[in-house]
Amino acid sequence: MAKITENTRNEVRETVFSFFAEECETDKSQINDNTSIIKDLDGDSLMFLELIEIFKKKYNLDIELKTIGKYAVKHPVETIGQLIEMQLLIIEHENRLLELDK
Amino acid sequence: MPLKVIVSGMGIVSSLGYELDTFWKNLVEGKSGVKQITLFDASSCATRIAAEVPRDFEEFSRTLVKKRASGQMTRVTRMCLVAAKQAVSLSGLDFEKEDKTRCSVIMGVVNTGNSSVEKDTSLQNTVFKSMTNSMPAWISLEYQLQGPNFSINTACASSAYAISMGMQMIRNGIADIVIAGGADSIINPEEINGFNALYALSVANDTPEAASRPFTSKRDGFVIGEGAGVVILESEEHAIKRNATIYGELAGSALTSEGYNIMAPMKDGEGMSATMEKAIKDAGIEKDDVDYINAHGTSTELNDRYETLAIKRVFGEKAYQIPVSSSKSMIGHTIGAAGAIESIITLLSLRNSILTPTINYTDPDPDLDLDYVPNTSRPKEIEVALSNSFGFGGHNATLVFRKYHGKV
Repeated sequence: MAKITENTRNEVRETVFSFFAEECETDKSQINDNTSIIKDLDGDSLMFLELIEIFKKKYNLDIELKTIGKYAVKHPVETIGQLIEMQLLIIEHENRLLELDK
Repeated sequence: MPLKVIVSGMGIVSSLGYELDTFWKNLVEGKSGVKQITLFDASSCATRIAAEVPRDFEEFSRTLVKKRASGQMTRVTRMCLVAAKQAVSLSGLDFEKEDKTRCSVIMGVVNTGNSSVEKDTSLQNTVFKSMTNSMPAWISLEYQLQGPNFSINTACASSAYAISMGMQMIRNGIADIVIAGGADSIINPEEINGFNALYALSVANDTPEAASRPFTSKRDGFVIGEGAGVVILESEEHAIKRNATIYGELAGSALTSEGYNIMAPMKDGEGMSATMEKAIKDAGIEKDDVDYINAHGTSTELNDRYETLAIKRVFGEKAYQIPVSSSKSMIGHTIGAAGAIESIITLLSLRNSILTPTINYTDPDPDLDLDYVPNTSRPKEIEVALSNSFGFGGHNATLVFRKYHGKV
């Protein structure tokens, strides 16, 4: 279990904002925690997977996609803020993510 | 009486331009889009020439296709979406004012061009780039359309089939609007080596612009082209209601299968003539009404011979008075896109009263003695024109277009 420091939080936030700004051709200043990924940015579900791959490599995570899938069904992500929180939970709990629901 | 189907928009991406005006101007001037292949190193291929879409298309496409979506498409799929967006733009359609459940997309797709030539293919976009339904899917996504949405593969007749099926859907009351057409590129080493093994391609590498020479004695196979063509089909009633510009009428069509050979057309063009006969009947016109034929005209030995024989069988002595030209002499054979691109050329010929030429017509084949509109375009008022498409596997299509004079 990794400890989420302020530094990690800032890194994840910066990565997510940059990723969406680049992929959706939007100015980073136009994105905030309440921005809807689909409605406001015209994003898609594949972007979530791409970000997971980025963080898996960056933090050397032991996490299976099916674990994330099961968790996401119960905790759907619609906004940038929710996505950042989900990524932080994945980094913190890796394959033990589902234990959070017990 | 079936609903009259009209064309209210057209979009094109080809070696001679990706804007309708430029494309038409180049055709009328008899220019060739055939050059040495630049998409990959073709030095080891027997055929090293093709009619490629200009490189600056990629920059142009960025103005119409979002980066995120673009990364999930092949270059060919982008061509299709760009042609569709141009067609929709020309039509003046605002889909927010339409019943989207009655707006359909049908594309002729032989393959998506996800070959070794395609750039930036990752594991995560491989499936999207390869899906043969991706072209109609991206178009429907662009406008959130909810009517029937599918692709058709009948080789070189694919997009003519798509247009014909679109017409049927409007006639039968299934759709008000159909975005129909197709896109294709087989300019990659795998396809070129494959077609070379069938002796189907021209190997006139030293004279690319003169390599595609349909109906001549020097023809030595087709030249591969690439591109996209998309038309907007509507019922006449629907188009008039929204005050649309009508570019021509799709008066009829015929789709047939030869059940004969996987590659060669039926002997003496019997299947081709049967298709033209059926299309003329479907359009409710007389043979004497036909003023022009935009031929399949591939520049292969058999197609050009049999298509000529087929035209003679259908029209008899009148065949000698009907101008017949091959657009493939200028833009090569665009395979799955050919039917749609050549439909657009036919519609523009009707609208502008100019017949585009068969260029490189320098050595007539004595057996092929029709009027092939040799080398230079020809001003001519025409009312009715046929567009032929014939594909490997015996898939035949003839579309009948008529000049539109307003509601009678």
